[in-house]
Amino acid sequence: MTPGAAAAAVSGDHRPLRARATLRLAAGMALAVALVSVLAMGLGYRLVETRLTEAQRALLSADMDSLAALYEQRRIIALREAIDFRIAADGPEMLLLMDRNGTVLAGTLEAWPAGLTAEGKTFTVDPAQEFRSDGGHWLVVARELPGGFPLLVGRSLAPVDATLAALRQGMAVLLAAILAIGAGVGWVAARWVMRRIGRVNALADRVASGQLDARLSGPRSGDEFGLLETHVHGMLDRIEALNRATHRLSDTIAHEMRTPLNRMLRKLDKIEGQEEVTAEVRAEMHQAIRVFDSLLDISRAEADQGGGGLVPVDISAVVAEVWDLYEALAEDKGLTTGAEIKPGLTVLGDRHLIAQMVANLLDNAIKYCAPGDSLRLVLSGRDRAVLRVVDTGPGLPDEMKSEAFERFTRAERDRAKGIKGHGLGLALVRAIAMRHGARLTLPRVEKGLTVEIAWPRELG
Amino acid sequence: MDRILIVEDDAETAAAVAAVVRGLGCDPVHRDTLEAGVAEAAGNFKVIVLDRTLPGGDGVDAIARIRAGGSHALILVLSALGRAAQRVEGLEKGADDYLPKPFEEDELRARLRALLRRGTMQVLDNDLLAFGDLEIRMKARTVHVKREHVAVSPKEFELLTFFARNAGQIVTRMQLLENVWNLHFDPGTNVVDVHVGRLRRKLEEAGSHAIQTARGEGYVFAPLPQPPGEGA
Repeated sequence: MTPGAAAAAVSGDHRPLRARATLRLAAGMALAVALVSVLAMGLGYRLVETRLTEAQRALLSADMDSLAALYEQRRIIALREAIDFRIAADGPEMLLLMDRNGTVLAGTLEAWPAGLTAEGKTFTVDPAQEFRSDGGHWLVVARELPGGFPLLVGRSLAPVDATLAALRQGMAVLLAAILAIGAGVGWVAARWVMRRIGRVNALADRVASGQLDARLSGPRSGDEFGLLETHVHGMLDRIEALNRATHRLSDTIAHEMRTPLNRMLRKLDKIEGQEEVTAEVRAEMHQAIRVFDSLLDISRAEADQGGGGLVPVDISAVVAEVWDLYEALAEDKGLTTGAEIKPGLTVLGDRHLIAQMVANLLDNAIKYCAPGDSLRLVLSGRDRAVLRVVDTGPGLPDEMKSEAFERFTRAERDRAKGIKGHGLGLALVRAIAMRHGARLTLPRVEKGLTVEIAWPRELG
Repeated sequence: MDRILIVEDDAETAAAVAAVVRGLGCDPVHRDTLEAGVAEAAGNFKVIVLDRTLPGGDGVDAIARIRAGGSHALILVLSALGRAAQRVEGLEKGADDYLPKPFEEDELRARLRALLRRGTMQVLDNDLLAFGDLEIRMKARTVHVKREHVAVSPKEFELLTFFARNAGQIVTRMQLLENVWNLHFDPGTNVVDVHVGRLRRKLEEAGSHAIQTARGEGYVFAPLPQPPGEGA
């Protein structure tokens, strides 16, 4: 798998989150703006409504004043004449004057409207009533003048209603426009923000897949996103420098230790006559280097965990090869052996690390098993490779199971039995399994030890 | 006389390598920085013994430059960077062989000999390799001793052909592990011995004493002449 594919696989996990946060923010802001607009428009609407009604009331008040003046002069007669005169002018008015028997003296109506009662006797505008009839909307003053003459004077509220209806319509259109524009601007802003954040996300994915030197190209803008990119770059530079320093340090340590060891060996070569002692010293030196290399290999595998640099490996072939190498050793020790290796399985991995892992597992099993025990290796799986190394040896004491794969863990009984080792073999197995993202488990078995390593499902 | 270039900054190591080179009947030339080594490599050398942590840089990174300079020498990297991953890296970057420090002189000698032979003797493309009574048929992948068929496993066949390719020379366990099994870590056990032992027993049962243990680090495939005192 290429690093790009790895990055895609990783970023695939983030996709569902795509633009959600920013879209929520944009939608929230659009709604807030719309809400404030609705409040503002509502206030305006109330104001206009009040003013227009006030104006009608003022007109009505003027009507009442003029009718009052006429009534002062010639009572009902004058009122009747004035009403007839005004009906001829055909204004948006409702007028009605009746006598005490309910006969219409003058007016625009033929009878007193139902549901309206006369209140008071004065010519003031208060109390006025709102009143609907035949589709009309009126502000009316209903009185019963002295002597039992009911008087009705009203002004139409239809123009007010029409104006308010037009206003409401305009406001609705405006609100729709605000929502649409808000959503549009929000969408564009979200897209823009996502693109800027997406760049940083993609970079993080590439770095996580092992490309520590990956950086964003192009100029950095002066805004917060530019600042974020600058900070991320600063962080990556630091990580990369630390990583390089760690590698350099382990190389330096190796060089500074192996070079003097090499000189010691040259001097050993010159010693004559003490073959046994020099051979032991040589063996000790090689053992020390092995321990040292294992430690460096473990930390390297741990540092590279989850990183890139893995390629498709025919794990069946590698396992078969290492099995072939160790099976002979097991047979020589008197173990019964058997292997079931499903051919053609591939994993993303490092051939040499996998070989070393299998070798360590088999070497470990052979070391602890006694003649007559059995050692089996099974590589199975359909879409994911699962390796099992099964032996019927002494197994692991329960209290050691949790820490068997820690560095330098050795069972007391091994020291007692004189089995050599440094407790690094299984620690390296675990580190290599983690390097491959494989899961290492110790299934519960009746006898002996079973180690199971399950590789992750292969992508694509 | 074949010339061998040693690029090595540690004087003591360089002297030890030079002694091994002289022991092989070759002429050592020593340079102690990477730049001087790369410049010198353009000369006519059979083998270049190249250190990695040198003043001036990493020897492995200079392999491409050495090749670009027109050198046809085989390159043996001899380095303190000796972990499996580093060995694989060196081989992938074009080294012909990789020996970690500290090294045994026998091991270095065996490796240099193998490289010197590789330089002169071309690949065995004959179908039939015959060593006295022992016959190896490459295409059919069969082994016969005194006309009798000897059944060998595929790995044993590869082991035998590697021995045959280095007939008469000491080959070390490490060389066998690297060349026959393609494994570059030190298993710390005698896995290789078990396999050589099996092959050896099969050949001996058929009457061939071709494989012998060499003093120290390995084995030698010496089918001719028959070892004295052993009845064939």
